[in-house]
Amino acid sequence: MGLMTLLLAFTFVLTACGGGATPTTGGTTSSAAPSAAPSTAASTAPSAAPSTVASAAPSTAASAAPSTAAGGSATRTTAPATTTSAAGGTSSTATRAVATATRTGSATAVGTAGSANATPNTSINITGPFSGEANTLNGAGATFPQVLYSKWFDEYSKVTNVKVNYQGTGSGAGKNAIRDQTVDFAGSDSPMSDAELAAAQAKCGDTIQHIPTTLGAIVVSYNLPNVSQKLKMDGDVIAGIFLEQIKKWNDPKIAALNPGVNLPNEDIITVHRSDSSGTTDNFTSYLTAVSQAWANGPKSGSTVQWPGGIGASGNPGVANEIKNNPYAIGYVELAFAKQNNLSYADVKNSAGQFVTANAASVTAAGQSAAERAPADLRFKLVNAPGAQSYPITAITWILVCPKQTDQAKAVALTRMLWWATHSGQQFAEGLDYSPLPPAIVVRAEAFINNITVNGQKAFPGR
Amino acid sequence: MSTSERRGRETATIETAQTGIADGRGMAPASASPAEMAQAAQEKAQVREVIEQKAGGGVSLVAEGVNAWYGSTHAIKDVSMTFRANEVTALIGPSGCGKSTFLRCLNRMHEVLAGARVEGKILIDGQDIYGKGVDSVRVRRHIGMVFQKPNPFPMMSIYDNVIAGLKLNGIRKRKSEMDETVEHSLRGAALWNEVKDKLKESGASLSGGQQQRLCIARTIAVEPEVVLMDEPCSALDPISTYKIEELIGELKQKYTIAIVTHNMQQASRVADWTSFMLAGDAGYGQLVEYGRTEQIFTQPQDKRTEDYITGRFG
Amino acid sequence: MAVQTARRAEKLPGGRVNLAGRGSALGDRAFQGIAFAFAASILVLIVTIFVVLFVDARVALAQEGLRFITGQVWNPNESIFGALPYIYGTIFTSLIGLLIATPIAVGASLYIVEYAPNWLRAPISFIVELLAVIPSVIYGFWGLAVLAPFLRDRVERPLKAALGDVPVLNALVEGPARGRDMFVAGVILSIMILPTIMSVAREVISTVPGTQREGMLALGATKWEMIKGAVLPYARGGIVGAAILGLGRAIGETMAVTMLIGNSSTKISWSLLTPGYTMASAIANQFADANSAVHFSAIIGVAVVLLFVTGAVNLVARLIVSRFGGDTRATGI
Repeated sequence: MGLMTLLLAFTFVLTACGGGATPTTGGTTSSAAPSAAPSTAASTAPSAAPSTVASAAPSTAASAAPSTAAGGSATRTTAPATTTSAAGGTSSTATRAVATATRTGSATAVGTAGSANATPNTSINITGPFSGEANTLNGAGATFPQVLYSKWFDEYSKVTNVKVNYQGTGSGAGKNAIRDQTVDFAGSDSPMSDAELAAAQAKCGDTIQHIPTTLGAIVVSYNLPNVSQKLKMDGDVIAGIFLEQIKKWNDPKIAALNPGVNLPNEDIITVHRSDSSGTTDNFTSYLTAVSQAWANGPKSGSTVQWPGGIGASGNPGVANEIKNNPYAIGYVELAFAKQNNLSYADVKNSAGQFVTANAASVTAAGQSAAERAPADLRFKLVNAPGAQSYPITAITWILVCPKQTDQAKAVALTRMLWWATHSGQQFAEGLDYSPLPPAIVVRAEAFINNITVNGQKAFPGR
Repeated sequence: MSTSERRGRETATIETAQTGIADGRGMAPASASPAEMAQAAQEKAQVREVIEQKAGGGVSLVAEGVNAWYGSTHAIKDVSMTFRANEVTALIGPSGCGKSTFLRCLNRMHEVLAGARVEGKILIDGQDIYGKGVDSVRVRRHIGMVFQKPNPFPMMSIYDNVIAGLKLNGIRKRKSEMDETVEHSLRGAALWNEVKDKLKESGASLSGGQQQRLCIARTIAVEPEVVLMDEPCSALDPISTYKIEELIGELKQKYTIAIVTHNMQQASRVADWTSFMLAGDAGYGQLVEYGRTEQIFTQPQDKRTEDYITGRFG
Repeated sequence: MAVQTARRAEKLPGGRVNLAGRGSALGDRAFQGIAFAFAASILVLIVTIFVVLFVDARVALAQEGLRFITGQVWNPNESIFGALPYIYGTIFTSLIGLLIATPIAVGASLYIVEYAPNWLRAPISFIVELLAVIPSVIYGFWGLAVLAPFLRDRVERPLKAALGDVPVLNALVEGPARGRDMFVAGVILSIMILPTIMSVAREVISTVPGTQREGMLALGATKWEMIKGAVLPYARGGIVGAAILGLGRAIGETMAVTMLIGNSSTKISWSLLTPGYTMASAIANQFADANSAVHFSAIIGVAVVLLFVTGAVNLVARLIVSRFGGDTRATGI
């Protein structure tokens, strides 16, 4: 209760707790969600619930602080009586948002949702330990952001004494871990599918939230002894190589993009991920977007049917294989290429420019994020518009269950998430990631604020 | 010596041997049916025919001051004796007297064992088998050996067992020649009639006595000059023993034969010459007495020989 | 308690010998019961493994039917599960391993038993057996760091150069020399199963009776002829058994193979240079990633197939061994 008072003092509006797709026992359907249609949608397609949440968020920013109406969920009940009064003012807005912006497909951007002028809350800073919070958090999943996460959790423990353990098991394993609730949070750069979200409902009791943490570039990295020039590639060439249709390094298609480069007459050894991977998901999404042959062939996914090549586990595994095998080529997050001193190609973007992957070009790609992002923030940034945009840019998330049961853990988790999406962003560029666009941070704030523990808002606000 | 003369002499020997068996074992072929006796006679004729076809006869083997060791154990000391061509020499003596060791020295089988060592000379046709530049493999092709326990090669057919020695050292014969050799050798070992219909079966499928005769066939297939037999009948029943003893009597026509035996009756039945070996208190075996078989068994010169053959020890 | 009962007075009043009592029998029975419980627990364990695997695999097996083992497409995204490429990878790598390891193991065993001086036998045997205690993952690391680059540059590339233009044989070297393929996995397997095969082969060879060796030597055989003519035929059944034991280990081997096989293409190809999967490495790779019930079930299904293949290999092996060793009818060497 003390927490709740505190929250109200900060003018956070919390109207929702729990709900999700499962009707809460003993509650009556709130007047805030009068429409029967979203209700049905929510119970059959769980993704609809968070979509309404997020779409409502920006429009309810009544104060300077990005406040949240996490209402949306059509089956939400009025169970937490202490919050209903606060919710009153926003509920109608939320309902409107539901009615207009129910997302039907993950690619559909939500019109006004990502209004770019929203600014993150800078008044809340995590600056020290918080009494009563858990002193360890466990996470697992994506290896893509691992370099940044290592830095973060190192820094974070200095600030709060909370030890965050993170294992780079790959996005697929991360998604399974959060589904099974064997971790406090998961890392993934592949959004959960509707089916995966539905499956995860069982243990969590609500829809898993995708909280964006950073942006990064997936680079096409290669090991070409005696070639010092930076290669240029476009979608067709990259797809051709990974389809094993382009078999030799001196293939005319590669040569055409790289005049003056002395390409060796050697077999190309492709390297890809053997585990279920968000990096793969983004990379293959890019190839699907730019190459008809790829779209007709392996398509996109966390695991796809590779026509050949070496499979390696995790970004570090792929980076190692490239490093150890002359004439190899693979895809890794930029930080791994830099760490291993691997060369990587400039890639032609949708504007026809060859762009080097770096924090600036990733940030440029991120500019479009606000327009592209659906309410639940499950989206991909590949092949972003803009002359400066690096085309294989990915967003990575921390996946959390918004319905926590352990008070101490929930407090620690929400504080860590807030820190990561705010103070933590400053570390991104130095490690070759890019900070989240402000509009995305604002929406992440809403998600963090929506996390409850036993019906109460979990984030203590400091 | 003409063939008929030789045959006459051999017949006499065999008759002596048979009498010996009848006396010594109480096991006489007299109990055999006429048909069996006819078959035995036919077999004997076959053996003789084969033996007589062999080119060249046996050669003498002369041991001069042979010493043998197992590691640091001095097994036999200063044994000198002669194995006369085309005669059977028996080596008798109690267990541990070194008679088998000595026999194994005769074709350089002793040195096969780890740590085993031989000194002295063994002359075949005047050449020392332990001499410089002598290949033990060549020695063994001239001095064959039949072991105490029948040791046919179980993974080979009877046929292949017989020609096993011929296949060595790249001797390539035509199939018809091989067939001929197999039949010839099996006849020579008095085994042909029993196995001629199952030559493709495993050598291990035969009875113990048949296996031993198969080993003899295998040995004579390579036509050595000398055949060493290390207690060839000790694992066999009396009938098998009889057959082999009979065979020895025939083989000596063309082979020089040395036989180690525990069985003094056997020695007296098959051997022309007998040597008695004994291990003294020092532990090593020595030759005590050597002479014609009748003399050793009837008028031993040495007290120890007399004690042994009269059953006072050993 | 049983002991106390058994130690009752040996004589009854009146001096008669007392034989009555059930104490010792009770102790016996108790021990028998405990022993039975232990034995039964093993049985229960095996049955449980089978039952659990089958139950978990049911969904995928029901969905795919026979296609589960004949299908060549394994695509979790589209929920298609044909494990044939994994089965193929398992058999292919195991056979490569066996073909390399068996001659080496037999040769080394022959050296130890027939040629090596006494003082050298124990050290060689010890070193070879040391190979058996090296953890799989260490083989994997060594394979990555040393073996794979060596094979890639010194074997695969020359082989590809030599056979690349030869009809038929070029199928064996199709694709780039990557150092992550069936061949490298097979070679690491051969090293790993070497001690298994060798310890049995050495045992078998050393138990070939001396009379067999001497029988051959006495015919005028050289040492090699003796080995070829007497030792190897006699030991043949046992050597086949040893190889099968090695095969059993190769089929189930996971870690090192996973690190070297390439974990990739589901192509079924004769090429030694195909990066692929074995059943075990597929299970290891995908177990944590399976994000649908069917995918998980399909992976368990692969485990079931692995169990069956192992079983079948052992059965075939036993038949072979009994043909060579049990039935002594010879076909001539």
